[in-house]
Amino acid sequence: MNSTIFSFYPPEEKPGSLRVAIQPNMSCEGWPSNAGSNALENYTALEDATVIRLVKKADARIVGSVHMSELGFGLVGDTGGQAVRENLADVALITDNMGEARVAAAVSGLPGFKPSCAIVSRLGLIGLIPSMESWGMVGRKIPNINSIMAAVCVNDGQDFSMTGETLPDFNKGLLQFKQSATIGVAEKYENRLTNSERSAWKRAVVMMENAGFQIETIKMPEAKLFAQVHNVIGAVEASSSAGKYDGVRYGHRAAGTANWNEMYLKSRGEAFGTLMKAYLFQGAYFQFENFAAFENACRVRGSLVDEINHVLSKVDWIASLTTREKPHAYKTAGISEHYEAFAFTIPASLMGLPAIQLPGIAWDENVDFGLHITGSPLSDPEMLALAAYLEPKKGGGSKK
Amino acid sequence: MTYEAVIGLEVHVELNTPTKLFCDCPNRPGDLPNLNTCPVCLWFPGALPQLSQEALEKAVTACLGLNCTIQTESAFDQKVYYYPDLPKGFQLSQHHKPLAKKGWLDILVDGRKSQRLGIHHVHMEEDVAKLIHETEGRTPVSLVDFNRAGAPLIEIVTEPDIRSPEEAMEFLKVLRSQIRYTGASECSLEKGSMRVDANISIRPQGSGIMNTKVEVKNMNSIQNVGDAIAYEIKRQTGCFEKSEPVLLHTRLWDPEKQMTVPMRSKFSGPCVPDPTVPRIIINDTWLAEKKAKLPEMPIQKVERFIKSYGLTRDEALIMSQDRDLSEFFEKTVINYHQPRKAANWITSHLIPALKEREISINEVFLTPERFQSLLCMQDKDKINAKAAREVLLRLLEENKSPEEIVEEQGFRQLSDIDDLESVVERILQDNPSGIQDYKAGNTKALGFFMGKAMKATQGKANPKMLKELFTKKLA
Repeated sequence: MNSTIFSFYPPEEKPGSLRVAIQPNMSCEGWPSNAGSNALENYTALEDATVIRLVKKADARIVGSVHMSELGFGLVGDTGGQAVRENLADVALITDNMGEARVAAAVSGLPGFKPSCAIVSRLGLIGLIPSMESWGMVGRKIPNINSIMAAVCVNDGQDFSMTGETLPDFNKGLLQFKQSATIGVAEKYENRLTNSERSAWKRAVVMMENAGFQIETIKMPEAKLFAQVHNVIGAVEASSSAGKYDGVRYGHRAAGTANWNEMYLKSRGEAFGTLMKAYLFQGAYFQFENFAAFENACRVRGSLVDEINHVLSKVDWIASLTTREKPHAYKTAGISEHYEAFAFTIPASLMGLPAIQLPGIAWDENVDFGLHITGSPLSDPEMLALAAYLEPKKGGGSKK
Repeated sequence: MTYEAVIGLEVHVELNTPTKLFCDCPNRPGDLPNLNTCPVCLWFPGALPQLSQEALEKAVTACLGLNCTIQTESAFDQKVYYYPDLPKGFQLSQHHKPLAKKGWLDILVDGRKSQRLGIHHVHMEEDVAKLIHETEGRTPVSLVDFNRAGAPLIEIVTEPDIRSPEEAMEFLKVLRSQIRYTGASECSLEKGSMRVDANISIRPQGSGIMNTKVEVKNMNSIQNVGDAIAYEIKRQTGCFEKSEPVLLHTRLWDPEKQMTVPMRSKFSGPCVPDPTVPRIIINDTWLAEKKAKLPEMPIQKVERFIKSYGLTRDEALIMSQDRDLSEFFEKTVINYHQPRKAANWITSHLIPALKEREISINEVFLTPERFQSLLCMQDKDKINAKAAREVLLRLLEENKSPEEIVEEQGFRQLSDIDDLESVVERILQDNPSGIQDYKAGNTKALGFFMGKAMKATQGKANPKMLKELFTKKLA
């Protein structure tokens, strides 16, 4: 069954108190799993993803699979945030490649979270950008997000990229927040903002100071580097990941072709949407024609990680807005517009850091841009404690 | 002008692990098509590769057998290309950071002079699926068998140190023997567990330049590799002499026509670091354990066999070539004091019999103990050499001791002096003309009598005693 919000939902409701919405790129046995793409048309998941299995085991029920952007890149066509905002789910799991879960939450006036990389198994996630993708989530409240994290942050022994270190513990409930934290803000951050964004940001800074945080100016790497590096590496990984969608065993297959080469070319040409085709084309360009640019991007990524680690050794958290005034993340068409819309959330995706979006703090007139906080790897439980501490103090709530 | 060939080999060796490289599916060639598959090796959406510890260990062991330096850190890359036998669009292989580097093997040139040939590196990779081309009615169809997809391979890339087809063949024999010893693979070109590509170029003798190379594939035996290289050297030399350019491309060896034919221009896709399979970090303790488990390799074994058993170098080489056979030899000579005789019997009778049956020494009933008592029976003249050969063949197929077979088949040598004497006397009586010939000085007459006596005893007479008796009676 389907609706404007759900691409599929089961005819019978299962027991469980927490309602969870998923995307059709999260393998749920027997459910259609087209990952929002014709390239996986009629593909049905063979078994549960680890996360789905763990959610089913917890006191939760999966209410349905929402509509999603093609292969989880960006938010065009996604209804995950809407499912929570319209009270059809308590948590929506949204694949986070460049900030999708956090931006979807911001646009819906809700909290959104992306955990540290390698603390949640990716087995069964039909991904696109393996080195950056993560199970993200939009929740009605911070405790809902903590409950999901408590259920899914388990080493299943099947995702070998999971961290070898001890996993953070979410099972004790939300931690008591330590108030003495310092929050770093990039030098000249305001210069990058529009008038409306700047006004929202100033409100957020005042609110954080009033809440007892110490705000410190930090020297951040050049902002556009994050987007450029993400674009080059993301496109290359996407091109590899999507290479298997050939329409032979599942997915759309073009009719009336003379030989196998023609079949592959035409099927792929017809299956992918314009945005995805452009992205895959970029990836193929870097793979085959400009490998040096890819190698440079990998090197720059390494030095960005070093620089951010250095910053995080001086401050506890790094804050910014979550989303931008323009372009609109749900409507934008081109790749460069995507990278602009997700400019503030991309660094955490590129670095594999935990990040959270909080509503009702950084708003101006009728727009809530969202407060975005990034922290050190594996600081996830402390980050949720911080978020819960800030949550009831929101200055007027979402205006959306 | 004289030319010299510059040859480098790329050898793919399929590791004999019970499971595939990135999943738990059985790695069992010969099963029904598409029986051994799962979401990982079919590369279904959402699947994640899980590197097999056992495959890594076997790969490391094989590399140690090739005298390589194992790298502390190695990593998988995606070799990007699309073909129906690789439907995920890339092959996981180690391009930028291979498992091992700087190996070498010593070969014997002209059976005497030892020469060291370099191995540039060894990397791990997954095998691709197998395509089977058929026709349904008049329509050509291509079927894909995923049993092989994801099977663990190592690729051994040599330095361009090889100069002749003979050296290439010798190198492959040594390499095969070394890897078989480690137990990592059977290395059979015939069965496809070893595949060899040769890169060949030609240059004026001693010029040191590297000219455009041609890659040759599809050689199904070591002899094929030698033939293909010899053909290619001749072909390229012809091009040089006619001033025709040699183009970078790939050729296929056609064993029927005994020639190489062009296949396609050489394609090399990009190799992108794989973000999913974690890097492999090898620590010294783990590596030391693997080194300690390495068996005595053929090179050392040859020297020991010469020293301990008094074998000639040739004999020692043959006895040490195959690990199982070398162990069989050593167990045979524990209580047998003629090691050279044992070696010669293994070389002349046992190895050809195993080859003919296409089986290994572990697949027959013959044990070293039984083999040793067979040799002893012959030493004590209980049976003659001809009968011993017969018994040996039966020992391969029957679970019996040589004594039992000798009794059952009546192979026991006639050594009873009275029995033999009566045979000798009867033959002399029946052939008076032979006696005259002998006395007239015709030495062939003795052979004639011996033949008659052997025939009369169905080959069981002790030839030594027979000869003595005839000589005595005729004197």
